[in-house]
Amino acid sequence: MEVALEDNNLMEKVLPPDEQEIDVELEAKEKKYLRGEGANLESLKDKKLKTQLASREKLYGKSAKAAAKIEKWLLPASAGYLETEGLEKTWRIKQTDIAKEVDLLSSKNQYDIVLPDFGPYKLDFTASGRHMLAGGRKGHLALVDMMNMNLIKEIHVRETVRDVAFLHNDQFFAAAQKKYSYIYARDGTELHCLKERGPVARLRFLKNHFLLASINKIGQLHYQDVTYGDMVASIRTGKGRTDVMEVNPYNGVVALGHSGGTVTMWKPTSQAPLVQMQCHPGPVSAVAFHPNGHLMATSGKERKVKIWDLRKFEEVQPIHGFHAKTLSFSQKGLLAAGTGSFVQVLGDSSGGGGGYSRYMSHSMVKGYQVEKVMFRPYEDVLGIGHSMGWSSVLIPGSGEPNFDSWVANPFETSKQRREKEVHLLLDKLPPETIMLDPSKIGAMRPSRRKERPTRGEIEVEKEVAIEAAKSVEMKKKTKGRNKPSKRTKKKKELVENAKKTFPELEHSNIAGKKRRIGEDAAAELPASLKRFARKN
Amino acid sequence: MGGLKRKSSSSAKALAKSKKKKGPHLPNSILKVIANQKRPLNSDEEDDDDVIGSDDEHGGDLYEYEEGVPEEESRKNNRYDRHDNYDYELPEDFEDENVESEDDDDGGNSDNDEAEGDDDDDDDRHTRMLQSLTGMPSAAFEGESKSKPVLFTEAYPEGEFNPTRDVLEGKNVLTEEDFLAPLEGTPGYQKTSKQIARMRKDTKHVVHAPLPKPQRERLERKAVIGLVDEEFSKWVHLVKKNREAPTVYFNQDVDLGYSTVGAIASEFQPRTEFEKKMASVLNDSEVSMEDHIKDHNHIAKMRSLLFRHEFKSKRIKKIKSKTYHRLKNKDLKNSSLGALMDPEMAKEEAMRQEAKRVEERMTLKHRNTGKWAKRMISRGLNVKYDGPKAAIAEQLQMNANLSRKMNSMRDGSSSDESDDEEEFNDGSDEDTPSRLIAKAKEKTLKALEDDEVPNAGLMSLPFMARAMKKKNEEANEEAKRALEEYEEWENSGGENSKKTVNVSGRRVFGATAKVEAPKESRKDSDNFYDDSDSDNDMAGIEDNNIEPVRDNASPARNTITEAEKFDDDVAGNPASKTTFDVAMFASGSWKKMTGSKNTESKKAPKKTRAPIPQAQDKKGPRDEESGDSESEAEQMVDGVLTSASKETFEVPSQAELINRAFAGDDVLDEFEKDKEEVLNQEVPKPEKPVLVPGWGDWTNIQKKRGISKQMVQKHEAEKKEWEQGLKTRKDARLKHVIISEKVDKKAEKLHTTTLPFPFTSKEVFEHSMRMPIGPEFNPSTIVGELNRPEVVKKTGVIIKPVKFEEVNPNDEVDDEHPRNHQKQRPKKKTSRRQGKVKSK
Repeated sequence: MEVALEDNNLMEKVLPPDEQEIDVELEAKEKKYLRGEGANLESLKDKKLKTQLASREKLYGKSAKAAAKIEKWLLPASAGYLETEGLEKTWRIKQTDIAKEVDLLSSKNQYDIVLPDFGPYKLDFTASGRHMLAGGRKGHLALVDMMNMNLIKEIHVRETVRDVAFLHNDQFFAAAQKKYSYIYARDGTELHCLKERGPVARLRFLKNHFLLASINKIGQLHYQDVTYGDMVASIRTGKGRTDVMEVNPYNGVVALGHSGGTVTMWKPTSQAPLVQMQCHPGPVSAVAFHPNGHLMATSGKERKVKIWDLRKFEEVQPIHGFHAKTLSFSQKGLLAAGTGSFVQVLGDSSGGGGGYSRYMSHSMVKGYQVEKVMFRPYEDVLGIGHSMGWSSVLIPGSGEPNFDSWVANPFETSKQRREKEVHLLLDKLPPETIMLDPSKIGAMRPSRRKERPTRGEIEVEKEVAIEAAKSVEMKKKTKGRNKPSKRTKKKKELVENAKKTFPELEHSNIAGKKRRIGEDAAAELPASLKRFARKN
Repeated sequence: MGGLKRKSSSSAKALAKSKKKKGPHLPNSILKVIANQKRPLNSDEEDDDDVIGSDDEHGGDLYEYEEGVPEEESRKNNRYDRHDNYDYELPEDFEDENVESEDDDDGGNSDNDEAEGDDDDDDDRHTRMLQSLTGMPSAAFEGESKSKPVLFTEAYPEGEFNPTRDVLEGKNVLTEEDFLAPLEGTPGYQKTSKQIARMRKDTKHVVHAPLPKPQRERLERKAVIGLVDEEFSKWVHLVKKNREAPTVYFNQDVDLGYSTVGAIASEFQPRTEFEKKMASVLNDSEVSMEDHIKDHNHIAKMRSLLFRHEFKSKRIKKIKSKTYHRLKNKDLKNSSLGALMDPEMAKEEAMRQEAKRVEERMTLKHRNTGKWAKRMISRGLNVKYDGPKAAIAEQLQMNANLSRKMNSMRDGSSSDESDDEEEFNDGSDEDTPSRLIAKAKEKTLKALEDDEVPNAGLMSLPFMARAMKKKNEEANEEAKRALEEYEEWENSGGENSKKTVNVSGRRVFGATAKVEAPKESRKDSDNFYDDSDSDNDMAGIEDNNIEPVRDNASPARNTITEAEKFDDDVAGNPASKTTFDVAMFASGSWKKMTGSKNTESKKAPKKTRAPIPQAQDKKGPRDEESGDSESEAEQMVDGVLTSASKETFEVPSQAELINRAFAGDDVLDEFEKDKEEVLNQEVPKPEKPVLVPGWGDWTNIQKKRGISKQMVQKHEAEKKEWEQGLKTRKDARLKHVIISEKVDKKAEKLHTTTLPFPFTSKEVFEHSMRMPIGPEFNPSTIVGELNRPEVVKKTGVIIKPVKFEEVNPNDEVDDEHPRNHQKQRPKKKTSRRQGKVKSK
């Protein structure tokens, strides 16, 4: 067995890799950074535009290439992995086995904190993974610096704590308590009491939009802007009480799991759900989103976990045999599911999201009830909040090995943090940018009405009508009205009539448009120039 | 005569031309003779040649046909406005103006004569016409016409500048022979004639008649266009390159001249005499700049000092107090005079001062009698501010301590420490843990003994009583266990358990430990403080005064305990308080938890915190593992350690499974209904046409007919549309999904309504928008290029016109190289310039 964890064991390649191999790798990476293909420029008639776009595309290619090269050569650490030999299975490897293999720094991340009194603990990590917030059900809130295992602050609020969530950094956190939810500062000072939301069941913070989303006991979804405190939206879901709520990190859409087996997705600017999916026949117990936003995992009480592709809204893979009370995707796409005192980690062997299979498992002491699992960002660590405190186990290959200090910096100084805060605020997105496909922002507005039939369609219709007119069976008439001349005349008339309807429409439209344009022009002109307006 | 000559010459020319082609070459003189004498012979030849030939046919009529004078020019009867005929032009080959013969004039006259005859006819007709028109006798008009017998066809009399028509039309032209004839026989004649002959032969240099103007101009234009095209086509590539370039740079020549005054000064050259003089003075003077600056600074300093001194003296001068001046004078006398007079005296004085100070320190300090303390108290600052208050309190404290110490030393008996300790009940003492344990033991025993159940109230209810009992039992059990533990602890001795004692039920992992550590350190610091500041002083004094019989420990301890007490009272650390609360909370609960567990759980976080050597760290968990796995296998707490092969979860029974699976049985139906509802909302179903009673019928006719065809057709069309609408929805094929297609009005502003200008297709536009160009998404090497404006220029830089340079048309527009080149150059320039300025 071989275990390697990120950041520490830099894989040393014995053989200098073939250049071709590198090229292939680089190409694959380049493709990723190109974000799709460019438009087909051959079809363009405008030469100037063509050259402009071509030069643009060239730049994009250059950028992608540079990015690929940077990723290939300049990112220092490689992701951790777990390698087995022979009949060994990765899911049989225990934490104790891993502890023997990894270095000291990593083995320090294996521990259990036993706090039996304030039982089941919710966890939340900051984006950089530096700080952890633990909220005991019975009122214990603890803010821990995970780097040096320093307890920054712990307070006891002496009432039920249902959920905890960090705001944009470790300076503020929110706790959903018995009656209201509160915002605390890092030193435990209560800053705000959010009374408007009522008794909140789940709290989530949308980092890019600075919105604190919550679902309360009566199934109301609230979005509150934490920068200026305004309630951006309060939505009645109408689906009853739920405590399954998760945010899609890709687009900021909030997903709720309901007792009817549906998962609904919401945005603050519409009162109706964006999407409703019937995921399970029984109640939904947990929902999780892949960081790339394309995959969603749901768990139903009928002992089934399902993976969904959110681009097609189709089930990609059902996983039978267990239901999860809590689900969490890691940065690298591992899926952790916690049930009872057992935590299972699934890995995606195919890479596309369809082949999730057992990767690791971890069982805690019997009787411990897992409340929440959450991968620590930028570390190969899974945090487990349970009824007797919290634990931390090593899951090789779960975290992103290289952090971008502009995105999240675990080694942030206070100055950097302040600067980051300002940047975040400047880059804050308005709530209406939350939509299913945010890449559509800036594109053409989808047409509201049905488009008019094109010229070709009209012509086809016309032909059909003429044919129909021609093939009309004439009645046999009497008294000289059945003469061939009369018949041909009649037929001609019919065809003419059939023809008449189409061109007339077209012409009238065009004429009307022309007139309108002229009128507009006349209307726009100042009074003194009106007499010069072209008259149609 | 002249006319004949002229004609012969032209014919000779023609002959010469023809001869060139046909006959043998004849000498010029012969040709001339032929031309002059045998004219009639040639006439046949030139028959169809031109007008001259036709003239010859008319029996050698010398005068040619002449076009009639245009009516306007003839000025017949003044019917036309008089207008000057400027319509003449000199033929290009009209070389010699000076030559003019009298014959021409004659010819002209004869011309006129003939024309007169015509005119007479005309006049006749004219008079007749006038007669008929006016009815007047012809004589009346006759006179008029007779009065002007001669009519000039030419507008002007012939002369040097007004050649006759013949000349103008190219007839009667003088030839070389005409000029040569008189010269025959003169000495240079042969030569010139030869030259002329040569000239004639030389066809190359013959200047042909110019082309007509339009043709000529066309040709000229053609030629010019060719030239211009060539000239311009040189620029095409350059212009094309500039046009196609995504960015045009105008930052090449950014030399704006001097940027600073210093730069200008550095370039200065003395020119005038005065300047030169100044320069020589400046350059040759020995005073360097640094010296000058130094001097300047020194002077400035002195001046400011003087100013201050002046100010001070002014102030002092103003003081009117006599005593002050007296004292001042005395002081002055004493110090200066005394010290000056006798150094020994000065020394004595210093000693005296010192002794005085020491005395004062001894007596006044710590009694609020110091200058500072007095001031504080008098101004009430000790009440107002915490700092002085604390300091004064400390002084008093110290005073009390010291006095007590002195007293005790005088008594010779040791104070009872135990009282103090009991008072303060501090954990720092080594004996306290055992005492605490004993106390706890006592208390637990007491608790075990009295299980009194309240007789009345809520607690007396049967189920409450039961619960209480249960709880009590549990509590007892725990108490017993605790007792055992205490005993065990007592047996083992209190060395290693110092840490565990502090934890009371609550498993604290960060804060308590933290609190603990500072406590010790605080102790140290307190000690240190005491030693350094007050104790040493006092000790020194005591040593001086009284014999040292004291052990150092007791005062130190006293101070510590007191200080701590004070600390607790005043500061009241919030962190410690909260942890204390939590601890209380925890110990109040009924959860059972063994002591060993506590220690274990505590160890885990501590490991990470404490900078223990690694080997030891690694050993820790394993030891625990081995120890725990045997004894407390079932009660193991540490998940990591027990992550052993206990993946036992019960397989639920079939019935349970089915129950779970069909927990919400009608869920799917409900969802379908929901979907239908949503669809109906978003794509409304067309209403079926119905018969509205009372509409369109008087009797039952409508009922019989049914709904009108039109309505049915309309409905069908609507239905079709509806179906189409349903089909085109995203969720049409997904049974389990409802995707809302409501238009979000707020989000509409994030889309464009129309395609931006150069784009014509939506796809191309959207594809071009797919790549983000911000610095967050692109490597920093490309960001600049991606976001470069179309024109790069510096403000204030004059944009010069395009200079011609050779451009290879096959070269692709390479944006990179010129940019780098251009970008770096100006930078270098500026830096160089700056360097220059600095150096000079």
